[in-house]
Amino acid sequence: MKESAQLALPLRVDAEVRENRAEGGSNFRLRLAVAGWPGAEPGRFVMLSPGARGAALRFDPLLPRPMAVYRTLGVAAPPEIEVLYKVAGRGTRLLAETHAGDRVRVVGPLGVPFAMPVAGRRALLVGGGTGIASLYELAARAAQRGPVVVMLGARSEAELMGCDDFAALGVELRIATEDGSRGHRGRVTELLEAALDAGAGGEAIYACGPTPMMRRAAEIAALRGRSCQVSLENRMACGFGVCLGCAVPRADGSIALVCRDGPVFEAGQVAWAGLP
Amino acid sequence: MGGPAVSTVDTRVKLGGIALRNPVLTASGTFGYGAEFAPFFDLARIGGIVAKSITLEPRQGNRPPRIAETPAGMLNAIGLENVGVDAFITEKLPALAAGVVVVASVFETEIDRYAEVCKRLSGVPRVAGLEINASCPHVKSGGIEFGQRAEVLAQLVRATRRATSAPLLVKLSPNVTDIREMARVCEGEGADGLSLVNTLQALDIDIETRRPVLSNVLGGLSGPAIRPVALRMVWQASQAVRIPICGIGGIMNAEDAIKFLICGATAVQVGTANYLNPLAALEVAEGIEAHARRHGVARVADLVGTIEVPAR
Repeated sequence: MKESAQLALPLRVDAEVRENRAEGGSNFRLRLAVAGWPGAEPGRFVMLSPGARGAALRFDPLLPRPMAVYRTLGVAAPPEIEVLYKVAGRGTRLLAETHAGDRVRVVGPLGVPFAMPVAGRRALLVGGGTGIASLYELAARAAQRGPVVVMLGARSEAELMGCDDFAALGVELRIATEDGSRGHRGRVTELLEAALDAGAGGEAIYACGPTPMMRRAAEIAALRGRSCQVSLENRMACGFGVCLGCAVPRADGSIALVCRDGPVFEAGQVAWAGLP
Repeated sequence: MGGPAVSTVDTRVKLGGIALRNPVLTASGTFGYGAEFAPFFDLARIGGIVAKSITLEPRQGNRPPRIAETPAGMLNAIGLENVGVDAFITEKLPALAAGVVVVASVFETEIDRYAEVCKRLSGVPRVAGLEINASCPHVKSGGIEFGQRAEVLAQLVRATRRATSAPLLVKLSPNVTDIREMARVCEGEGADGLSLVNTLQALDIDIETRRPVLSNVLGGLSGPAIRPVALRMVWQASQAVRIPICGIGGIMNAEDAIKFLICGATAVQVGTANYLNPLAALEVAEGIEAHARRHGVARVADLVGTIEVPAR
């Protein structure tokens, strides 16, 4: 993805938790008031340190966690951002224990955003699990340029997130659950295949979710000679290109940093077999 | 110690011939080449930055995974990925504002290559001094660390000392039996100062796969977990040599840094904290000054080596 000179510069701020809501499964929706928040282009992310109170940071666990900015609620003052996450380890468990009024340290916005679809072209957005968090602002902005189809997948209906938010954007919403409890029974990438085969061609394809899902979306796109933008995840200590911990191999053998060169990549540039 | 609060504090220190406006630098490998932090604060407000270690040629570094979280710390095995000395001089240094004090960190796999990098950096106007990284524990080439064997360390310091007249700091490995011996070797060979410690060689395992968590198997442990070990080594080294010491190891805030000064460090480097808090170095510098003011210490340098060990 091309770097844009106009990207908002990151800031570090101790944000206040406005709401931290369980959303089914082990999913949560965190809403933070972030003083000075400059907004985030679709696909950018923040580093969050759970449990920071005042100036004192928690040192165990030590590292902040990268999280996509689901959306910015610009009407509030200070601006509020929402983050969707799944409890997967110590860091996210601590985040799940925060309550309204608690402080969470935010560094961001960070990373390279999605490239927007060409005006008038249909955009196909494929999201799995909490990966859908990277796609909401993209769907909102793409919908101003042309038709948008959002395909959301999860294991079961209980683990689906954000359906109402996406529907409210006026985009076409298609659902897949592995157990068939809602929408298509099967994988969300099967919806992508069907959409591409039924479509007129020329669609812009975007995918974000578990690595096997994005890899499959990339294959489906490549088989049809199409490009696809994906948003990768990785462990990282800083989020702004200095720890060099989030290195991933590119298809050409070089190394990319997920935080600085991504998280958005052209799927064809990623050496999928070499991802951690 | 100290008397009633003072209104102004002289924060300047001199580290082996390098004049610093305050005693806080950033540790090599945790601060990129500096420009990455420019959105967060004015780098001229801290003592200086120690840039990412550079080699003669650019290096790509290790395959992932390269980092892992550990209790109050982290492991890394980046593999000294860097742009190489020439790009450092022509691209990275000019990107920094004029008032930023830059110490270049030098790493290589052979002694004559170390000396060559030092030569190329000598006389570069933006380079205030050199730090010889004698201790990186996670690069396979060369096997044992230069800083782990006294006679090898002596050869390294001798060769780099000959290669440059710039202020020369040697960053010591903590993975040794007696840090005092290594400190004396460096002083004897003409080093102007010491930086300690680098990361502690370490290992962690994923019990499901039974594999090491890092692709390189071994990594360097950093963060608050190592701070008491680093503090002990700084204290021991400061008693063994007269050259100034820059204390490093798990400094998260001003209180941590002040402990290093009390134990004999003339200056400190903030490392891993930069990752989780890009303003950490600035906050440490401001916190030290505030502490000195509260305690009536007119010069921050007066805090250095003020440890009081009760008679036993």
